[in-house]
Amino acid sequence: MSDILLKVENLSVEFDTPRGPVRAVDGVSWQVRAGETLAILGESGSGKSVSTQALTGILEMPPGRIVSGTASYRGEDLIAMSVKERRRIVGDRITMVFQDSLSALNPVQSVGKQIAECYRVHRGLSRSEAMKRAAEMLDRVRIPAAAKRVNDYPHEFSGGMRQRVMLAMALALDPDVLIADEPTTALDVTVQARILELIEELQAERDMGVVLITHDLGVVADVADNVVVMYAGHVVERAATADALEHPVHPYTEGLLGSMPSADLKGQELPTIPGTPPSLRSIPSGCAFRTRCPHVVEECADEVPPLLTVAPGRDAACIRRTTMPAKEAV
Amino acid sequence: MIRFVARRVLAAIPIGLIVTLGVFALVFAMPGDPLRELAGDKPIPAAVLAAKRAQYHLDDPFIVQYLLSMKDILTGNFGTTFAGADIADQLRLRIPVTLKLTLLANAFQWTLGLFFGIYAGFKRNGLVDKSLLLATLVLLAVPGLVAYFAAQYLFGVELKWFPVSGVLEGFPRSYLLPALVIGLLGFAGLARLMRTSIVETVNADFVKTARAKGLGEQRVLWRHILPNALLPVVTFIGIDLAGMFGGAIITESIFNLPGLGQFMFQAIKLKEGGVVVLLSTLAFVSFILINLAVDILYGVLDPRVRHV
Repeated sequence: MSDILLKVENLSVEFDTPRGPVRAVDGVSWQVRAGETLAILGESGSGKSVSTQALTGILEMPPGRIVSGTASYRGEDLIAMSVKERRRIVGDRITMVFQDSLSALNPVQSVGKQIAECYRVHRGLSRSEAMKRAAEMLDRVRIPAAAKRVNDYPHEFSGGMRQRVMLAMALALDPDVLIADEPTTALDVTVQARILELIEELQAERDMGVVLITHDLGVVADVADNVVVMYAGHVVERAATADALEHPVHPYTEGLLGSMPSADLKGQELPTIPGTPPSLRSIPSGCAFRTRCPHVVEECADEVPPLLTVAPGRDAACIRRTTMPAKEAV
Repeated sequence: MIRFVARRVLAAIPIGLIVTLGVFALVFAMPGDPLRELAGDKPIPAAVLAAKRAQYHLDDPFIVQYLLSMKDILTGNFGTTFAGADIADQLRLRIPVTLKLTLLANAFQWTLGLFFGIYAGFKRNGLVDKSLLLATLVLLAVPGLVAYFAAQYLFGVELKWFPVSGVLEGFPRSYLLPALVIGLLGFAGLARLMRTSIVETVNADFVKTARAKGLGEQRVLWRHILPNALLPVVTFIGIDLAGMFGGAIITESIFNLPGLGQFMFQAIKLKEGGVVVLLSTLAFVSFILINLAVDILYGVLDPRVRHV
């Protein structure tokens, strides 16, 4: 197996609010290896973005606060290191792509300048050399007439092209890990597919680890090797994508799969998970999912179910499925 | 760019006609007879009065008077005031006074406004930010007239730090006090706008991107936050500059500075329609030019509104 590039362990993040602290991420652990695509799957508010923003240091702190945990990049803990040291790694070895490329790019700077800035700051290249590299990068993400478009501004590109610009910027320094935070959510389906293909292609070429944050099971099924399912700040299931999709262990994952539209369900009403995700202010005691769970028993309210290994490479946090696995699925 | 400028200038012509016509009508509608006002209590011989009335076309219908005034303005043949002063000479003497006053006032206002606004925005909720919020609130609540008279009395009459009025002590001493008061009153709005604009920009997504690129805090502030936060401020500065002439009418009269504002004040008092329209036209032209400059500057700063 290839090297573990980024390993997050027991990460907890709280937000200070006027009504007391709120825990957005609670004891989250995952890791990504070179060449691997790890999907972090969850609804909005499940803490999937907050966890990556915390470890890269771009989370507004305060009001955010890292309560515990480590995030090691090749053995060095990003959370413990100083801002200056972290800047050597974040933006160079670990880079990020965001969802809405129109607001995520500086509107008054040409895209070339924004890409060139990476080379200028991290590699100390001259202005003209950096611009030349920026044009090459635009060409690399297949923006037509890259040499000309390098001087254009973000609003002069279409949504898909802008996301390519974001990718060019993130991949400019040939990073080890790419964290893509809902990179295709704002795009229509055909453009989405092309962006995902492009990420896969560049990943294979560079043997890069990709952390893909998404709420779209279809995206997970398409590109992810492994998947981490988050619910209300907790990891509820961790597995290889194929396993998780075929035999979900946690009832939440099961519910998500059940509510995916498919041709078989034609003419029927789409099943949904009853209820809504809990507010982080009032997470139910014990298992956060128990109020919506079809398999709930009394013991679910007793304590937060630990993430337990149910099979090699498979973890789940459900007392019914992990302590009484024989009875049901798996 | 050239087409943009040409379009704006052409569009200004009909607006200019409406503005001048409106101003002239307002002066025309004012009660009182200008020549009698000029003479004060002294009786004027009927023949002199008639000659003067003919010289200034005061007995012609409104529209004829207006057209004659416009003809004078457009041909650069400004003539004399009712009191007999050559208007072209007056302009030559008075324009520099008003320019000095407004430029100095603006220098104070921009330096203070941008400096404190940027500082407070970057270090929000700090001591400077909180004191600024309070200080600007007080400044914004003070009416200009009160501030001018109070400053004149306190720093001119009592403390004698500055001349009370007039321009005998030349530039910059004679201009310092009025310019400082205008600048201080104007700086409050500018500083607040600058601060708010920065605070809003700090949370923008592209700032997050900049941080994720591993850029230093200084680079994020000056290269990414500030260029975006400045955009609304530029608009404000344009509007504010255009309002300066209106402010000059009051300040120049209070501090007895012989500038265009004071000229305007006297002309309105005497119902000198021709002079009022001439000065209004001047103000209007400078307004158009300033706006044009601001729009071009805006285009340089923000590519989304660039005029090709």
